Amino acid sequence: MALRRAQGLVGLIIVVAAAWWAEAIVRPRAADDRIHVTYWEKWTGFEADAMRATVDAFNASQPSINVDLLTVSGIQNKTLLAVAGGNPPDVAGLFGPNVAQYADDNAVLPLDNYCRRARLTRDLYVPVYWDIGAYRGHQYALPSVPASTALHYNRAMRARAGLDPDRPPRTIEDLDADAATMTRTDSHGKIVVSGFLPSEPGWWNWGWGYVFGGQLWDGGARITANSPENVRAFTWVQSYSKRYGGTNLQSFKSGLGNFSSPQNGFLDGRVGMVLQGVWMYNFISKYAPEMETPVRQWGAAPFPHPADRPDLAGVTFADEDVLVIPRGARHPDEAFEFIRFVQSRRGMELLCMGQRKHSPLRRVSPGFYRRHPNPFIRLFAELPTGPNTVTPPKLGIWPEYQDALTNAFDEITLERKTPRQALDAVQARMQPKLDEYLRTRRLRAEAGR
Amino acid sequence: MRRNGYRARAVALHAALIALSTVFLFPLAWLISTSLKPIEETMKTPPTYLPTHFVLANYARAFTYGGDTLGFIPFLVYGRNTLLIAVLAVSGAVASNAAVAYGFARLRWPGRDLAFAVTLATMMVPFPVLMVPLFALFQKLGWTGTFRPLWVPAWFGSAFSIFLLRQFFRTIPTELSEAARIDGCSEWSTFTQVILPLARPALAVVALFTFMAVWNDFLGPLIYLSDQRLFTLSLGLQAFQTQHGGTEWNLLMAASTIVVLPVIALFFFTQRQFIQGIAVTGLKG
Amino acid sequence: MRPPRREALAGALFVLPWVVGFSVFLLYPLLASIYYSFCDYSVLRPPVFTGLANYRALWRDEVFWIALRNTAVYAAWALPVSAVVAIGLALLLNTGVRGMTVYRTIFFVPSLVPMVALAVLWQWIFNGQVGVLNDLLGRVGVRGPNWLGDPAWAKAALVILAAWGVGNAVVIYLAGLQDVPRQLYEAAGLDGAGAWQQTRHVTLPVLSPVILFNVIMGIIGTLQVFTVPYVISPAGSPARSIYFYAMYLFDNAFIYHRMGYACAMGWILFVVILALTMVALKLSERHVHYGGI
Repeated sequence: MALRRAQGLVGLIIVVAAAWWAEAIVRPRAADDRIHVTYWEKWTGFEADAMRATVDAFNASQPSINVDLLTVSGIQNKTLLAVAGGNPPDVAGLFGPNVAQYADDNAVLPLDNYCRRARLTRDLYVPVYWDIGAYRGHQYALPSVPASTALHYNRAMRARAGLDPDRPPRTIEDLDADAATMTRTDSHGKIVVSGFLPSEPGWWNWGWGYVFGGQLWDGGARITANSPENVRAFTWVQSYSKRYGGTNLQSFKSGLGNFSSPQNGFLDGRVGMVLQGVWMYNFISKYAPEMETPVRQWGAAPFPHPADRPDLAGVTFADEDVLVIPRGARHPDEAFEFIRFVQSRRGMELLCMGQRKHSPLRRVSPGFYRRHPNPFIRLFAELPTGPNTVTPPKLGIWPEYQDALTNAFDEITLERKTPRQALDAVQARMQPKLDEYLRTRRLRAEAGR
Repeated sequence: MRRNGYRARAVALHAALIALSTVFLFPLAWLISTSLKPIEETMKTPPTYLPTHFVLANYARAFTYGGDTLGFIPFLVYGRNTLLIAVLAVSGAVASNAAVAYGFARLRWPGRDLAFAVTLATMMVPFPVLMVPLFALFQKLGWTGTFRPLWVPAWFGSAFSIFLLRQFFRTIPTELSEAARIDGCSEWSTFTQVILPLARPALAVVALFTFMAVWNDFLGPLIYLSDQRLFTLSLGLQAFQTQHGGTEWNLLMAASTIVVLPVIALFFFTQRQFIQGIAVTGLKG
Repeated sequence: MRPPRREALAGALFVLPWVVGFSVFLLYPLLASIYYSFCDYSVLRPPVFTGLANYRALWRDEVFWIALRNTAVYAAWALPVSAVVAIGLALLLNTGVRGMTVYRTIFFVPSLVPMVALAVLWQWIFNGQVGVLNDLLGRVGVRGPNWLGDPAWAKAALVILAAWGVGNAVVIYLAGLQDVPRQLYEAAGLDGAGAWQQTRHVTLPVLSPVILFNVIMGIIGTLQVFTVPYVISPAGSPARSIYFYAMYLFDNAFIYHRMGYACAMGWILFVVILALTMVALKLSERHVHYGGI
């Protein structure tokens, strides 16, 4: 009897201890008298390291505020849910395209007054990187790390195919021709090596229309998914399926390794050219150092434009990580102190150099580019200053729109639909959603007034 | 003649069963084989079925992947979190379901059978129906981002376990509890002193099922947890898989093995209860 | 006999945790979700009653129908295939063959693999180009498809994956089979019934309640399929071929922040499950034999 009671007691102690421990893990207590600002970061790996170094530098730079960095997955959704629950972080590191959705939902604080007091203005920045955080007349977010895209090409593969290794294609037509020259198939017609594929790795499948001068939204009341330019772009995408066979392409793609591995198609020499961002260098140096030394085997150049549209030269997809203060943050002023530190040239360059990106600020310190490990950093820094810099539409329904476009892309690459049909379907799906979205936004604005 | 027929039949049966066993075991063998391969070997065609040399370092890398940047060793932390939730959920499930099932099985009160029928019917409610309001509820309580949504409900019973334990309690002869009552035991001490000790195998089954459910759960942690320090093994494995558009296959397989092995090990230690439990619960449906 | 009043009070106290659990974690969410399903409810604003708007929008929502059809097609294959595999294995094991427990363990172990690991592992096996499955098929002269990359085959791959995890159903069936009285077989044997006829006329009827139970549990589980396809591809790619009901519901709730819409979907799912269960019970009246044969 006593034994049984002792067992029960032990069980009870274990349960209580476990519960206590579970709570302690969730809310670690800080034992100092500084104000603790929670910051939610989305990246892991060396990108997080760079942010951590920046946070440490901020914490060391002043005595009263301490930023606690937490790594959060699915940040674009979790932050909104945390705002709704009334327990958001003080600063969140969202993605640029999230700004509209958050501002629509009134989930982030406008930073206009803070910016004014801190004298942060648009002309300090490369315009696109400031504008990503602006929405309907207010500044809701400031940049942390920018990105832009370019064509990455494998010089050795070009040479092997008899192409000039140092003259990457300028036009889409050149790109197609080079791709055809570089692509090798076996006796069954199976692709062994590909010069270029619009679907590899397929991170901007929603955006090909912009390369051909299209848009996805007219900025007002109309979705323009099935505009002639967009149809032309998808027709171009589908031409690769027509040439090599949709299923053939698909099975070639599934033979490529995962992106962040040495078996990434571009890194192991099975894909000759890809549209990729400024971060590609990081993967090259990590997984394929032989592409860097002794001889650099790769290059980066502006992504080609259609031959009949020279005005579209230098097209690039610009994106950035942004810092926002969620509504309900407990220490908004201290949170902005941290954001402001990141906007300083010192903070920004510490962060961007650590992540091996360019700076969103218009002026960089002397030697920034010289010290920068990425040999093409100037290209990535300059591309987004041009007129053909693409950012996704600032719409609260963008996540859904993007899913619809991604699906349409699948359907045309698999040759299940014609470009026209696929884009008409997207148009038919998204136009009513836009109508509804604009209507509720108007109603909310009126109710708010 | 007849004897030969039997032998032929036995041989054929064994042949079939061995072939099927191979089919069922092969994926796990492939998991472990890939987890030990050097990266160059993972995507070879035709594939090598056994690693040419064993790279145990894959496990070390999978275990510590991202540990340098997160300031901890992720998979150990995920394992600790999962175990904590499991301990809390399992103890809650055993305690609450035993009591509730006792109330249903051994005590008479008005409306009992109707209440039990309703309990059984709740097994039909799909989780997605409850997902949104439950999320809203936990959010109002300020529980999102903590472990609580993942273990507190276990302390309030679940239809399946109540059903299982009730069936078991009903097989215990009533004379035993009558005798305890005559000795002057209260209902509570009859329950704890007489019934519970006899119910150990059934309680073990409830514990095992709850443990499995926690270990397996993905949607719950996906909805409620955001901070990577709080991830469970399932969620951690998924995060690992999607990192930067996907990681090396051999590391993915090593990480998967880390998640799979403890359950299989647990199974081998508790095999009898496990099989019995599954059989018992399924049969009397 | 003690006063029933005291017993009733004790009973109430014993089931109290469940009463609380049932009300808070089941009944309340269930009722709330009915209400939400008639509301425009994003997470950040209180729900606004909009009547049938969500249901009407669902009716016209192409993706809703795609997700519903995918789920129905998947269930229509996965349920029978898993049932046949499980019953087949159980029958094989029930032949009194030696080493039954070893085989049983082998068939059971795969069902222990957590879903996320299951998805990661099979994604690797199914790889169209370097996957081991297609290599094995190639050795017997079959050219395997690009399983998860081909909309025509992706669901089939998930069915195979489900069939691999039937171990616990096998154990249940096996336990049911061992309850079949020996005499029945002997009687059938005397009547000259062969192995197949014995199975058909003796085993399956006796097993039918267990089959019914498994079918109903299978319907409930299969229609909620989420983890495996979500881990393989959150968007259900290629071309939404493995985009299932619960995934679209999840996206509406937690990605598009249309909680009311998601609740309406949840309720439709509930009604479908309820209806299918009723149909299964109704159909079973003629085919399921309880006890005395």
